[in-house]
Amino acid sequence: MSALLENHIVELLQERNEKAISLLYENYSDTLYGVAFKVVKDEELAQDVLQESFVKIWKKADSYDPTKAKLFTWLFRITRNTAIDKLRSGKTKSDKEIQMDVSDVYKVGIDGVNPDFIDMRENLSKLDSKYQIVLEALFFEGMTQQEASEELDIPLGTIKSRLKIGLREMRKIYIDPAILLFILTLIASYYER
Amino acid sequence: MKDKIKIFLDTDLLEKYLLGSTTDLETLQVERYIAMYPEVRKTYNELQENLEEFAKSYSLKSPEGLKDRILSTIKAQNSTKRKFMNYAIAASFVAMLFAGASYFFYSQNLNLQEENSVVTNQIKLLEEDMKERLEDVRNQFIVLNNPQTKKYTVMGNKKAKDLKAVAYVNPVKKLSYINVQNLPDLEDGQCFQMWAEVNGKMINLGIIKEAGDKNNLLAMPYAENAVGYITIENVGENEAPTVDNIVANIAY
Repeated sequence: MSALLENHIVELLQERNEKAISLLYENYSDTLYGVAFKVVKDEELAQDVLQESFVKIWKKADSYDPTKAKLFTWLFRITRNTAIDKLRSGKTKSDKEIQMDVSDVYKVGIDGVNPDFIDMRENLSKLDSKYQIVLEALFFEGMTQQEASEELDIPLGTIKSRLKIGLREMRKIYIDPAILLFILTLIASYYER
Repeated sequence: MKDKIKIFLDTDLLEKYLLGSTTDLETLQVERYIAMYPEVRKTYNELQENLEEFAKSYSLKSPEGLKDRILSTIKAQNSTKRKFMNYAIAASFVAMLFAGASYFFYSQNLNLQEENSVVTNQIKLLEEDMKERLEDVRNQFIVLNNPQTKKYTVMGNKKAKDLKAVAYVNPVKKLSYINVQNLPDLEDGQCFQMWAEVNGKMINLGIIKEAGDKNNLLAMPYAENAVGYITIENVGENEAPTVDNIVANIAY
């Protein structure tokens, strides 16, 4: 996401221009839908979450402060929290219903994967699964570090360090290929001399 | 200073803040650290970028038609907001009208309450007055109708030859009345005044008005061996009787 487009969307949002929602949807809906689905694990619920999140984004547009968070961070927070709330309210309503849905939901989930992101997912699988589990528990299950520690039977200190290292590892995996190429060229030219 | 930053980064506050799950107090603390320390700011920015990458790795193609649904929901909300604004304007107009009417009725109520208390007071005064008069009339009746009542005719001395009065005294009921039937003409600024000497004390019984009093019986305080006087007094100077001006006395 270019900073220019991001600024443009923020401006439109703050002018209460409905075009902002259109642009946000075009640029972020797949990621946010993925986040919502990862949390609620149900296609229909994920759609509701996305819809509610966009309504919240529109309503709360005035409260977005670009100096405090990147646009995506703000969008993620709203979507994640909406999804977790949805999941909690749904679970109290009928635990069984949701569990029944899960079986045919996984298929849809995998079919629905955007091919553009396949390699990203492959990258992620490179991220050691012990980090991935912690990140997913914290990011998508809505667990606190304490809850994750109990649920995964991992000491709290380890949860903390895996969260930090996990995020750092990710930086390594997602390093821009252009920069990587540039570094490699530098190394090569150094050896040529 | 470095330690402080390190300790802060070792807590999970920054990560919690990233996900929007800090408490208000924690949020303030984290935002202060981000604003104050470039190192914390840098870490926060890295976390934000990592989060975006991490989240992107879970991207799913959002379903067909969802965009239109979301856009139409937001459009509908905006129009209901506009509708709500219209209702709000109408409601505030009604509220203003109501407030105006309330004030009008309130002040009217106040006026009515005031009038009501005035009327009540008047009724009370009238009642008291009526009781007094009724008592007086009853006493008069007792005096006039009682066989033990003695009747004295009072005649004026030479200063007021035309003065004629009748006194009724009932020693049993201890009541005494006087009926002034005729008063001679007086100079301007003068008036007839009644007095009664009871146990050596002079009691002012008031001014006798020329007209209208002829049919009225005037009550006098009763005492044994009391003496009633009628004097001519200057109007307004009637604290004590002027002995020289006694025109009639009634011994009873």
